[in-house]
Amino acid sequence: MADNKTVKRRRKRLTMATKEKLKGLLFVSPFIVGCCAFFLYPIILSFLLSFGDVTNIIGFQIELYGLDNYSNAFFQDTEFMPKFYEVVGNTFIEFPLKLIAALIIAIMVNKDIKGKSLFRIAFFIPFLLGSGEVMNQLLNQGVDRQVLSVADGKIIPYNVLMYFGGNIMETVSTIFGKIVTVLWGSGVQILLFLSGLQSISPALYEAARIDGATEWEIFWKVTIPMISPMLLLNFVYTIVDGFTNMQNPLLAYIQQKGFKEAKFGFGAAMGWIYFLFIGVLVAIVFAIMKKYMHTNEAEEVKKRRDKSKRIFTIERTKNRF
Amino acid sequence: MTRANVSSQSNEQRTDSKLKRFGIRAWRYISSPARIKQLIVSAAMYILLIGLAFVFIYPFLYMFVTSLKSNSDLGNYAVQWIPSSLKFENYSIVTNVKLLNYWKYAKNTLIVTVLSTFGHIMAGSFVGYGFARFRFPFKKILFGLVMLAFIVPTTTLIVPLYITYSRLAWLDTYLPLIVPTIFGFGLNGALYIFLFRQFYLTLPKDLENAALIDGCSFFKTYWKIVFPLAQSTLVVAMVLSVVWHWNDAYEPGIYVRLTNLQFLPPRIRTIVSMANAPSEDMFDLMQQLGLDDGEDTLNNAVVMAGATLISAPVLVFFAFAQKKFIQGIERSGITGE
Repeated sequence: MADNKTVKRRRKRLTMATKEKLKGLLFVSPFIVGCCAFFLYPIILSFLLSFGDVTNIIGFQIELYGLDNYSNAFFQDTEFMPKFYEVVGNTFIEFPLKLIAALIIAIMVNKDIKGKSLFRIAFFIPFLLGSGEVMNQLLNQGVDRQVLSVADGKIIPYNVLMYFGGNIMETVSTIFGKIVTVLWGSGVQILLFLSGLQSISPALYEAARIDGATEWEIFWKVTIPMISPMLLLNFVYTIVDGFTNMQNPLLAYIQQKGFKEAKFGFGAAMGWIYFLFIGVLVAIVFAIMKKYMHTNEAEEVKKRRDKSKRIFTIERTKNRF
Repeated sequence: MTRANVSSQSNEQRTDSKLKRFGIRAWRYISSPARIKQLIVSAAMYILLIGLAFVFIYPFLYMFVTSLKSNSDLGNYAVQWIPSSLKFENYSIVTNVKLLNYWKYAKNTLIVTVLSTFGHIMAGSFVGYGFARFRFPFKKILFGLVMLAFIVPTTTLIVPLYITYSRLAWLDTYLPLIVPTIFGFGLNGALYIFLFRQFYLTLPKDLENAALIDGCSFFKTYWKIVFPLAQSTLVVAMVLSVVWHWNDAYEPGIYVRLTNLQFLPPRIRTIVSMANAPSEDMFDLMQQLGLDDGEDTLNNAVVMAGATLISAPVLVFFAFAQKKFIQGIERSGITGE
């Protein structure tokens, strides 16, 4: 009995730090359970597979034999590296285009303009049609090239076109098609930016205007810092989406090798090279953005620092405002 | 008399000068450089908006207009936007002739979409809150796992996943599509955790601290204070989840093979293959229903009618959901942030 009581007392006397730990673990517990149930087994299996191959498909038995699959992917396979470069190049070109277009559109749609809801629906239509079957069907019919088709002489007059000749026209229309698909693919980014913009309190803008800030200054000093958490999310999402969407040629190649030709080990190894690359990119983005991200935690740290230095910083604060 | 005259005169003069003054003021207002600049800016913005909107709306316009074309219009290059006659029959063909079986498959898709969206919202906001607010052991490793789950595409893990679900005897049910969402997995599940975490990071802690001081338990604080504050993020998460689940065809196509349990989007492929090469029983069916067989009935217009019907629910859903995007909700009620 006496022991029981002491145990109870001890439980009541959990420190704040332990409590916080327990609370945190409780909140992330669904994810931990999900990890164990649906994620760890596939990911570990795929990791092991990348160092070996399946010897018996029925029991899915794996034999490990080292780094052969990786060296295969880098040095022997003729298609992996070129496709890899192609995907990386494409993503790096699309990345700034998509984000800038999305930010501009989100800002415009967030303003109090006439026909706001109509514009909003319009900008999300390609996203709503999805990257799925319907959109594939439309793309098969060449819709992306029709939108800004140079061939019908609406954008560039015929005389000029004649001067350029067929070859250049073909390239120009391909570029336009690319731009259009990039724009169509920016729906999620617009949505994320929009949600970030909406969480900015109008009072901040008001205060900035009263202090005589121009729109340009407000954009850089209020809007961008306030949406910086969404900016990070958007950066990461755009990178990941650029590398892992269904239309990606490299993923299609990995799938073809890994499943259709049943080279499970080789497919897994290529997959892991790819994940590692994306992971490093994402980590770099995180590291860069951490400095500039404006969050409540960062604010608190700053405040604490300012408080401790208060005596010395009066001059500086004066200058800042 | 004279007095009255004088007063009326002065009145006239006064109104005259008033008009003049008003005119001058109006002219000054219109011609002021600030005003002109504002006009030019807003005009430029609308032109840009309308131009961009055209690019974005194009696939839908193409789809919708094509779905109303008759066969002769389809072949005619002069007819791009305005069909010579509206052929609403395409819609009845695509729903009637066992091509789409719209309501049945729409119901299946709806069940999965609603349940998994619910799961994603719950899991995302709950787990995201944990990552944003608390310090606990292995936090970095766990968040690394979230990012890994986000990065690794399902296509590369499909074999082990298939094995897992077949061991659980979940194949040919909707469970593999719905259950993982409750734990923050499933279709882009990790994104929702990340999304909510980013939102909670910007949310000031003061309200939660106030609730804590007032004796609110931490779970109640989450449910009654934090969760409602995340409304704008909830709408975004809901839109993303609904749209992605509605359009998804990859995982459902692998786990769910029974025709009875099929979903709407993959049906478009059936329609396309029927339009390209109608099968024998298709001809029989068409004759039974008294339709002309061949290209006149089954053509691209019918395919596009099917596509329009498949994407219509999402469009309607979004039209309602976007009203929830309101600028600058005073979300904290705390002054002097």
